[in-house]
Amino acid sequence: MEEFNYLAPESFDQAVVAKSQHAEKSRVIAGGTDLLLRMRDKVVAPSVLIDLRHTSLDKILISNGVMILGTSASLSQILENSEITQHFPALQTACREFAGPPIRNRATLGGNIVNASPAADLVPPLMAYDASIVLRASGGDRALPLAEFFTGPGQSVIAPDEILMEIQIPLLPASSAATFIKLGQRRSMAISQVNLTARLSMNNSDCVTDARIALGAVAPTPVRAHSAEDALVGEKLSEDLIRMAAKKAREEITPISDVRASLEYRLEMTEVLVRRALIATWKKQRRTKTSG
Amino acid sequence: MLPGKNSEERKPVDEVEIKLNINGNVTQVKTEASTTLLYMLRDDLGLTGTKDGCSSGDCGACVVMVDNKPVNSCMMLAPQAEGTTVITVEGLEKDDELHPLQRAFGETWAFQCGFCTPGMLISCYALLETNDDPSREEILTAIAGNFCRCTGYQGVVNAVQRAAAELRTKNEDTEKTDV
Ligand SMILES: Cc1cc2nc3c(=O)[nH]c(=O)nc-3n(C[C@H](O)[C@H](O)[C@H](O)COP(=O)(O)OP(=O)(O)OC[C@H]3O[C@@H](n4cnc5c(N)ncnc54)[C@H](O)[C@@H]3O)c2cc1C
Ligand code: FES
Ligand code: FES
Repeated sequence: MEEFNYLAPESFDQAVVAKSQHAEKSRVIAGGTDLLLRMRDKVVAPSVLIDLRHTSLDKILISNGVMILGTSASLSQILENSEITQHFPALQTACREFAGPPIRNRATLGGNIVNASPAADLVPPLMAYDASIVLRASGGDRALPLAEFFTGPGQSVIAPDEILMEIQIPLLPASSAATFIKLGQRRSMAISQVNLTARLSMNNSDCVTDARIALGAVAPTPVRAHSAEDALVGEKLSEDLIRMAAKKAREEITPISDVRASLEYRLEMTEVLVRRALIATWKKQRRTKTSG
Repeated sequence: MLPGKNSEERKPVDEVEIKLNINGNVTQVKTEASTTLLYMLRDDLGLTGTKDGCSSGDCGACVVMVDNKPVNSCMMLAPQAEGTTVITVEGLEKDDELHPLQRAFGETWAFQCGFCTPGMLISCYALLETNDDPSREEILTAIAGNFCRCTGYQGVVNAVQRAAAELRTKNEDTEKTDV
């Protein structure tokens, strides 16, 4: 690891000033579970590290129908939050299947996003829940849909003077349900071969009013399967319709072969897992309807 | 960081001074900003109970408690531990007596080579701090970030349940004497 100057600003404002001052030469460090490995392998060599630990950016709260998650909320904090259990259970499933407890105690939501790995587990659920993010620079804030943040593996639109401040998710009507599925080489401590979240809103006659299918590890960035979603909306849900939508999802993705899985396996499993996720989501819908 | 602060690759740098509580003792350490908590413990403080199995967050041999939570000390820079309270495997025994978990590990053959044991013990200790009667499934979840390459996990599950039972009886006894 190259040497660096370690800063731990006492407030978020000071962190923003430090980031604009050191820009390209600096990196923010949150949990460090991605950054330290990259620094050790000399993929990145920042001369200044800006630690967010004193900036109180780990709050999780609901305000005006929007859940606001501070960028430094750890995966363990997300797992312990009962409002997330109630409104965004698929995000918690993704956290539960992420590494093991000691990593979950350090790794942060914002780090998972800014790291911009195509396989990041928390991104598909956030995308399926229509999350947006707020970036702050000394010049001001900028908000954008999470889906517009990523530009390639490890690449995003974040500017060198910007810090991710928070993630916002609009609360959903009770008629919406979602399912996260991760395929890895084992149950814990595995990076995803494919991960996805499906979310459906339906009316009383089983007609799909809204659909989201967000996929990870099958393209240069996390992606939405738009044509599969379009195939569902306005239609009465059936197993045939689900099968057809799953095929469309397979046609939309552009996976590669790597150490974790081959291209062919990813294509095949995407179709299977989209089908499974849609069926599981449909079942959840029925359960909410019969119970209330 | 890897392979430790004595490696020839390292250049001399500005030192940072870090104050933290380790195993109940307020400790002041001078080290380098790029030293991990793991190597600060091992090289600067001589607490070699905590092991380096991978230095990449994967194996759990380096797990210690930081502010009441188990974390991988290889994935934390020393300055990130400033002001925290750390418990390492050396801090589990009290008054020269092994912690019930440590004894149970021996009694149930929860290790052979022992390399994974310090991290495994800390993850199990963290579990027992919040759950005094964990199920087999809860124990396996708690040690999901700790790899054992020679013994397996059944002995660990047995050890944790044995220690949990002992601690429950102890607590009941203290409650009785308190009354
Ligand atoms: C053993 C192990 C297992 C893992 N398992 C998984 C897994 O199952 N699923 C998965 O998705 N990932 C996994 N990861 C990757 C990693 O843990 C996650 O991506 C994690 O969420 C990163 O968060 P962090 O806080 O540690 O990020 P850091 O390492 O602190 O930061 C990551 C990147 O984001 C930048 N950054 C962080 N916060 C901000 C901010 N607020 N503003 C601007 N830039 C910022 C940093 O500069 C850095 O470039 C694993 C890693 C390890 C070591
Ligand atoms: S040495 Fe830290 S996890 Fe392996
Ligand atoms: S006892 Fe040898 S690795 Fe676990």
